[in-house]
Order: sequence, then structure tokens, then C-alpha cells
Amino acid sequence: MASNKSATRPKLTNEGFLGRMAYFTTRALANIRQNFLLSLLTVGTITLAMLIISLFLLVFVNLQGATEDWSRRVQVVVYFDRELAPQEITAFKERINTVRGTDRVAYVSRGEALNRFRARLKGQETLLEGVSAEVLPSSLEISLKSASREADAVALYVANLKKIPGLGEVQYGDEWVRRFSAFMNFLRLVGTLLGGFLLLAVIFIVSNTIKLTIYARKDELEVLGLVGATRFFIKAPFVIEGIIHGAAGSLIAVLILSGCYLAFMQNAANFLSFNPAAEGLSFLPAGYLAGLVLGGVLLGFLGSMTSLKRFIK
Amino acid sequence: MIQLHNVSMSYQSDFAALNGINLRIPRGEFVFLTGVSGAGKSTLLKLLYAELTPTRGQVLIDGQNLGRLTRRQIPYLRRSIGMVFQDFKLLGNRTVFENVGITLEVLGWSKKDIGKKVFHILKQVGLEQKMNSTPLRLSGGEQQRVALARALVNDPKMLLADEPTGNLDEDNKEQVLNIFKEANIRGTTVVVATHDRRLFSSSHRRVVVLEKGMIAEDSNGQ
Repeated sequence: MASNKSATRPKLTNEGFLGRMAYFTTRALANIRQNFLLSLLTVGTITLAMLIISLFLLVFVNLQGATEDWSRRVQVVVYFDRELAPQEITAFKERINTVRGTDRVAYVSRGEALNRFRARLKGQETLLEGVSAEVLPSSLEISLKSASREADAVALYVANLKKIPGLGEVQYGDEWVRRFSAFMNFLRLVGTLLGGFLLLAVIFIVSNTIKLTIYARKDELEVLGLVGATRFFIKAPFVIEGIIHGAAGSLIAVLILSGCYLAFMQNAANFLSFNPAAEGLSFLPAGYLAGLVLGGVLLGFLGSMTSLKRFIK
Repeated sequence: MIQLHNVSMSYQSDFAALNGINLRIPRGEFVFLTGVSGAGKSTLLKLLYAELTPTRGQVLIDGQNLGRLTRRQIPYLRRSIGMVFQDFKLLGNRTVFENVGITLEVLGWSKKDIGKKVFHILKQVGLEQKMNSTPLRLSGGEQQRVALARALVNDPKMLLADEPTGNLDEDNKEQVLNIFKEANIRGTTVVVATHDRRLFSSSHRRVVVLEKGMIAEDSNGQ
């Protein structure tokens, strides 16, 4: 070695990228076999961690679905003290549809309003004796797009709506909307905090488990360094191992979650007072499941990368 | 050729493990480094395989200044150095064959070539029958011979040993010493750090005595 340059090794002829990757993967699989208990511990921890995250997501997704249903009740109603002519209805609908945030507009005639009233007072029809359709107002019921169902957005929508000339009295149950918005904000805050803490706890637990398993094999890292392995050569099989652990752990978690969900849907009616299938309790969408598996892979990859940093200088 | 010019090494500012060392070891020489515990033997070896960088002075191997090596270059230096330690540093979950083959795996050798070469070196150290055992099933002497096989399998230019016989009985010490001698005959420069005087008293080899981080005696008269 006459100069610094000569300290670098010439590349071997059979040393392509794919060949190296195949070697590292074989090495990683051999390492898993040779350290089976440690691998089992890591996969088990990742499985539990991803199961907790996926359970949280399942609750979150269903709660989101439920709140979406509830928020559809946020409606703006325009009352008229007369029956509208069909041309007027069409004209109003067209104007209202141009207001930003409008989802659907439906006309409720005086007759239909009376029918609804009757349906609501079922069993107490005597109260409606002498009441005719003329007493009740006709109305346009406006459903809002989900982005316009918050209290402030509804108020802004109503302000814009009132600019349309010829509209009657506008009502939207502002107190209920305000309470509903406050509840939604609270739910979002709790969900974000809970999800955030859960994610931090999971990252902490998984990275520490990986750190411990790598610490248990620090002799291997030392020996590899002494016989002249480059840092990449030392790290690569460990990182591939981390990715395999992460993928296996998260796949097992998704399988367990699916099994539990199916078992719950089939048997819940026996011990609960409602049928979850009928209530629309849904499973995680495919995108979420793919995200969970990718998350597991990322957790294994980053966990091993950061842990190796501590042991390979 | 190993050259140390005025090398000092301090772990803490007030304690010098090595102090102003000047040493030349020509290629193919067999040198014993000796001294009591804490004299600086292990530190000197660590400087030679670039585990440490001197706080002052220069360490050169074949004209290459180790202090100027980047982190990326150190592995390539180590591929030309075999190392043996008192605690063997073998991997308990791998077989004898795998422990020796690791040196060649790092170099990118094919499985077939590794098989041939590892079998050959294990035969040389008399352990070919035990190549499928794990190190924990071997005696101390056998474990050290596995470590020697791992250090010598790629025909290194230099063999460094830190108290290689510290955990061995007399018979095993002799066996291990003979392997060092054979490697030296084949042209490998050998540096053995030991505090065991019996190991070198009748060997007629060069002996460098370290005392409080300085060379107190050099049988070569340098």
C-alpha cells in the first residue's frame, strides 16, 4: 500500500448489484435461522404494536363513518309562506346550486310537510284534527357538502344564501350545529392525541426491541469489522432482516385483525344488543391495510438503521 | 514494513498509554511485544489495525500513513491484516467452517472457493474434522486455532495477536506458537503481544519490551 488510493479494493468480476443483494438476503435469512428466538421476539413485538395501531384505526375509521352520517343532518331550510310554482322551484334550485357548499336541494310542498307531520305524530292523530296543509309552510331543504358542515362554514353559507333575492326565512338549527362542531373538534383532538401517543409508544417499543436484538449480536458486528467488512456489508443483512421482521409482523397483525373482525361480526349478535353487521360496522379499507404493512416494513427498516448507527462507528 | 514515528496515544489528557514510540518492523519479521498489564501493548496493536488514531506521531504500514485513512478505507486495510485475541472473538451461533469463511465472504469469494480454502486452512490447523461443530463445543486451544485459521485464511501480509495464549495450557500454547511460526515462514509479518515470558524466552525472536507506554528494551537494539 503505497498510497491512500491503493487501500481501496478492486471490484471482483462476479460482484454485480443483484449478486450482492442476493448474498445479503441469503445472509439475512441465515441470520434469522441462526437467531431464531431473537427474530421471534422482534416479529412478536412488531405484531403486537401493529395490532394496537390497526385496532385504533379500525375504531377511528368506524367513528369517522358514524360522524359522517351524523353530519348529514346539518341542513339549511328555506321556508316560504306559499306554494312555489314548478318554474320557481327550478329557478331557486339553480341559484342555490351556485352557492359554494351546496350538495343537494329538495323542495317540500305544503302537502308533503303535512304528511311528515302526521307521520311524526303517529298515534296522536287527534292533535291534527282541523289542521290543513295551508297552515304549514312549503320549503327548500338544502344538504351541505361535508366541508361546509362546520358551524362557521354553515353561517358563511347561510350569509351567501341570503343574498339570493326572493328567498323566504332561512333556518339551520345553529345551536345544534355549534354543539355538533364542538363535539367533532373534540373527537378529532382526542383521536389525534391518542393516535400520536400510540404511534410514539409503538415506535419507542419496536426500536428498543430491535436495538436489544442488535445489541445481543454486537460480537458479530465487531468480528465483521475486524475481518475488513465495509459498513455497508455489515449493515445490509441487518437492515434486510429488519424489513423481513417488519413485513412479517405487520402481515400477521393484519391477519389476526381480520380473523378477530370476522369472528366478532359472526358472533357479536349473541352477546350484544345490536347486530354490528346491520349497523354498518366496517373493516379497514384496502389502502389502510397496505399502509399498515408498509408501516411495518418502514418500522423494521428505520429501527434497524437507527440501532446500527449506535454500534457501527 | 511497519513504522512508528514518535507515536503517542492518550485516552485522557492526563494519561498517556503510549509515549514517543519509535519502532520499525521490517516485512516478514516475527516480533514479540511484551510488558506488564497497562504497558501499552494492546494500544500499540490497535494503532496498527486502525482501531485507534495516535494523538501524536505517525503510524505507517508499507508507507501508508494510517492517520490519513478515511473511515471507508479502514476495512480495506484490515483485509491485509489477520487478528487474533485472547478471548478468540468467535461467533457462537455459527459453525467452525462459517467462522473461518466469514473472512472470505467479506472479500466476495464464491461459495465453492470459500469451501476449498477454508477446508485447506482447517486442515493446516488440524481442525478439519470439527468444521461443522460450533465453537462452544471446542476446547480453548481448538477455539484459538479456529481464530487463527480465520486470521490466516486470506494469506494476510501481517498477523497481529493480542495475548493469544492467555487462556491456553502449555500444550496448546506450543501448538498455537507453531502456527504463528509457519505463517511467518510463508512470509507473513507477525506481531504477538504477550506478558508471558516463557512464550518468547527460547524463541530467539525479536522482543520489544514496553514500560509505561515507552520502549524500555528492544532485542534488535533499535
